[in-house]
Amino acid sequence: MEISAWQIIVLTLYAFFSILDMLGPDIGLGRPIQAGFVAGLVLGDVKLGLLVGATLQLMILGVGTYGGASIPDFTTGAILGTAFGVISGKGLEFALGLAVPIGLFLVQLDVLARFSNTYFQHRADKYAEEGNTRGIEIMNLLGALPWGLSRAIPVFLALIFGSTIVQNLLKVFPDWLMGGLKVAGGILPALGVAILLRYLPSKTYIPYLLIGFILAAYLKVSMVGVALAGFALALINFQYKSAGATIAGGGVSGDE
Amino acid sequence: MSETKKLTKKDLWRINWRWLIAGQYGWNYERMQGLPYCYVLTPALKKFYTEKEELIKALKLHLQFFNTEPDMAHLIIGADLAIEEEKGIEAEDAITGIKTGLMGPFAGVGDTIYGVIAGTVFGSIAAYMALNGNTLGIWIWTLWMIFRWVIRWWFINLGYQQGAKMVTSFGGAIQKITEGAAILGLTVIGALIPTVIRADVPYVFKSGEVTMKLQDILNQIMPALIPVGLVAFVYWLLGRKGMNSTKAIFLLILLAIICYNFKILG
Repeated sequence: MEISAWQIIVLTLYAFFSILDMLGPDIGLGRPIQAGFVAGLVLGDVKLGLLVGATLQLMILGVGTYGGASIPDFTTGAILGTAFGVISGKGLEFALGLAVPIGLFLVQLDVLARFSNTYFQHRADKYAEEGNTRGIEIMNLLGALPWGLSRAIPVFLALIFGSTIVQNLLKVFPDWLMGGLKVAGGILPALGVAILLRYLPSKTYIPYLLIGFILAAYLKVSMVGVALAGFALALINFQYKSAGATIAGGGVSGDE
Repeated sequence: MSETKKLTKKDLWRINWRWLIAGQYGWNYERMQGLPYCYVLTPALKKFYTEKEELIKALKLHLQFFNTEPDMAHLIIGADLAIEEEKGIEAEDAITGIKTGLMGPFAGVGDTIYGVIAGTVFGSIAAYMALNGNTLGIWIWTLWMIFRWVIRWWFINLGYQQGAKMVTSFGGAIQKITEGAAILGLTVIGALIPTVIRADVPYVFKSGEVTMKLQDILNQIMPALIPVGLVAFVYWLLGRKGMNSTKAIFLLILLAIICYNFKILG
């Protein structure tokens, strides 16, 4: 299908505000799954949008911009992947094959935005010398522009020039690459999981990891069910520790 | 100190929303949340410091380096406001102390609870339902996000009421909550390994009339054997020097292309 002007405008605006939402109120617009859903709605294929968004979401579960680190921009990836998947009519594999490299490439623009804002910080220093509070306020608000534009510009350009680019990519992408990317889509969530294990005290709490695995792999419990079981285990631990604290004076705590 | 310098509930509400919406707009590599922090406080600073010299001093103070998890920042902002309202800019050291002293630990706690655990639990539920064409999980996640706003408003009030005392009174509770959250998170992660990671071996043995899928044999040893192996491999990989998540993504894509073309995975 051909993408129309209003669809390009809506998706560009969405890209602009998705990152601002992620940085602030975080209603969820900045997550890949919501981005895929909205892009699917706009382009008239909600099912594909949800599939693209959900798959990308699973690749970066729990991965965040901790301490100002840049992470793959799978949100913009979900918008463009869904869009090109619908436009080309090639479906999920093609959409993911584009979304992943796009998300990886766009990390560069995230870094550029964070770098550009240093200019506003320095201008604010000057306003502080003058006691100009209005100036400082405006500098912080202008900081929204590099953030928003670093997402909106690539989406806009890709959608404008997209149809020809997509057709060319179709010719360029050979099977060994497309098939490989499909497999990559399946195994990349291992990275998200491994990052989480590195981040959490997983060595101390390895039994809980095993319980979760057994529930899902052997007993086929749904994700909501596993989350409930995890909540129950957390409560048991909390009660046990509280009781232990009164009896033994808090001598039960594990590591640290 | 005259009554006009006291913050009203309305001031606090305004500062709360300023941080909630624009608390990271001016984020930059040099001083991270320094510019936003100063921006958020200006309504209060204008009220506290009617002398221009004091105001300039305060503005410069708050433009300095600051960085923490945005939800947790509401506690720090609240406590900072309480100290400045009572003691003014003379308490410069106490203000810097509470900001820099709390931002590190609060970032650790906030990133763990909001980023890693809530992000994993709600994100995986939303993704699972979405893979079946159901958007309910997305809306559940949205409800959680709105609930976070309530907590943020509560945090800024708590910080404001407790002031400098907050540092001692809040430490113990946060430790217990983080521990419980880690248990919930790890249980969900354990379940993610066999469900999220897709790695099927297409190889089929043929000996006369008997055919046997290698994947079936692997499943009999243990379900999701290859996903478990992959996670262990990447976990080890991430512990190597000079390795980061972006490099690991490229390595995994390369590995996938090789495995696909040698018919190991497909």
